[in-house]
Amino acid sequence: MAAHNVRRTPLERLEYAIIVSTLMFLVVLTVQPLLNLLAISFSDPGKVAGMSGLTVVPNGFSTEVWNLLINNPAVQRGLLNSIFITLVSTVLGVVLTALMAWALSRPGLPGRRAIFVFVLVTIVFEPGIIPDYFINKRLGLLDSYWSLILFKVVNAWYLIILVRFFEEVPKELIEASELDGANPFQIFWYVALPLAKSALATIALFYFVFHWNEFFRAMIYLNDQSKWPLQVVLRQFVVEGDKLAMVGVVDSNNYTGASQINIRALKAGMILLTIAPILAIYPLILKFFTKGTMSGALKG
Amino acid sequence: MTVSNELVADAAMPQDGNVPTIQRRSVAKGMRQWWPYYLMMAPGLIFFVIFHYFPIWEAKIAFEQLRIIPPNIWVGIKHFQTLFSSPIFWQVLVNTLIISTMKIVFVFPVPIIVALLLNEIRGGAFRKFIQSAIYLPHFLSWVVIAGVFIAVLSPSDGAVNDIIGFFGLQPVSFMTDTGSIRWVLVFSEIWRSAGWDSLLYLAAIIAIDQELYDAAEIDGANRWQKIRYVTIPGIVPTIATLFILNAGMFLNADLNQVINFSNDVVRSKIDIIDTYVYRIGLQTGEYSLATAAGLFKAVLGMLMIVAAHLLSKRLTGKGVW
Repeated sequence: MAAHNVRRTPLERLEYAIIVSTLMFLVVLTVQPLLNLLAISFSDPGKVAGMSGLTVVPNGFSTEVWNLLINNPAVQRGLLNSIFITLVSTVLGVVLTALMAWALSRPGLPGRRAIFVFVLVTIVFEPGIIPDYFINKRLGLLDSYWSLILFKVVNAWYLIILVRFFEEVPKELIEASELDGANPFQIFWYVALPLAKSALATIALFYFVFHWNEFFRAMIYLNDQSKWPLQVVLRQFVVEGDKLAMVGVVDSNNYTGASQINIRALKAGMILLTIAPILAIYPLILKFFTKGTMSGALKG
Repeated sequence: MTVSNELVADAAMPQDGNVPTIQRRSVAKGMRQWWPYYLMMAPGLIFFVIFHYFPIWEAKIAFEQLRIIPPNIWVGIKHFQTLFSSPIFWQVLVNTLIISTMKIVFVFPVPIIVALLLNEIRGGAFRKFIQSAIYLPHFLSWVVIAGVFIAVLSPSDGAVNDIIGFFGLQPVSFMTDTGSIRWVLVFSEIWRSAGWDSLLYLAAIIAIDQELYDAAEIDGANRWQKIRYVTIPGIVPTIATLFILNAGMFLNADLNQVINFSNDVVRSKIDIIDTYVYRIGLQTGEYSLATAAGLFKAVLGMLMIVAAHLLSKRLTGKGVW
């Protein structure tokens, strides 16, 4: 960016004002819908009915909706399922990806090129959902968390990103450790991993976001509703409009006519609850993803 | 462990060069050196074999008549004939192409414009604030985004219809309107990706040599002239690469998106190959036909992405991988 320290003409000021307002408009378009949902979810349930989609101020104040949500067994189970699936698959994904990436990044590894092609083929050619379904069925993974945990447990794109990163580890460091008598596993643990901390954090965040947001596989592989992750519970309630899926489990009188509870407010709260973990790690995402992409390390 | 001469020789070799014949004789010895690395790769390799290569083999059911009691009967291209003579299949193919075209035309340019605007913002903190806000939707699931859009577009109390109502017009039920549902896909895609994708272009802009701007300034160039003659030419390679890659993904109209915006009223307008495969396969149980449709897309998609990769590499030096 050029340094604009010279005096600006009125026209230039107007241009700048237009640019700033255009971007602020985008910010509003992005954030306002979420703030509206937040306002609705904290409003007095009895006063939600007339609320405009444009407002960002709660109408009255009540935590009733959030109380109901976090005490709802379907939501609680969904939350626990999501946390379990996401954490296990993230840890497993990072470990397996890092191990494979380190080996693949070693120059001179016999078969290195062939293995690269072997991995790339899986990116380019995906035979679709039906063969995938049959494999999971054959392995007895239907209705099991493992059908979700093992899905892309080593993501080919993330693998390539990490290989590219490991290739930059200075050869001298590795040779020095080898002379000190370190074996390949020790070098991986004591040399490669510490150098790759930020790359690993980035990959971990990738896996976390990917698995937290996964719903399609959960939808088709998990018939047992008690195993559903939060995304599927949310989908059933908000997208499919199936109130019973969520509400039926508890005393449905709490939610319908009898009391003041408003379905619109419940949906708003449910959406925000599903976003909450992403928001919690969002500062980290900004730090690592942005840096990674800006440095050109994450072209995928 | 001591470093053998061989290992050093190996390490010195060009990474992807052919292995000289002298090396071939020492494969067994190489294995002794390298087995820990193969052990490290083993879990990942096994995963790829089971979850990516077995399904390719499994896709043979597209050529078979499934029977409850094995073996299945080989029927050749019968299912493909059924597929290509089915009007519904052509409808979903056309839908896929229309939706992809709309996204390329209306979604693709937006992040470029956002990046150009962002680059004009002085003051790092203010720019960071804008970035933090507009990147967020990229990290939300399509279920969540559909939920947000259902709320925003609600005919009774959504923000958009509140504005329409302010001008005295009748509310529109966008989510159940066959005329508008494809535009809902376009706008939700922009909402989700325009901010984050601008980062790629911003990175390219920042890489432009500052001296070019200084020279333009000395020549008396104003803001628009600098954008027109320095910034845009500087990011053309990035634009070209991303455009080709997008074109290569043409048959991926995004299952995860469509499945959350679909309903009985608008299905005929946004039913794409992937949702068709899902519906006739997993919901109706016509596994062979669904696999045939999936294979059709997989093969065509593979040709397109490889072509895109080669084209991109040739034109800009940057490929898909």
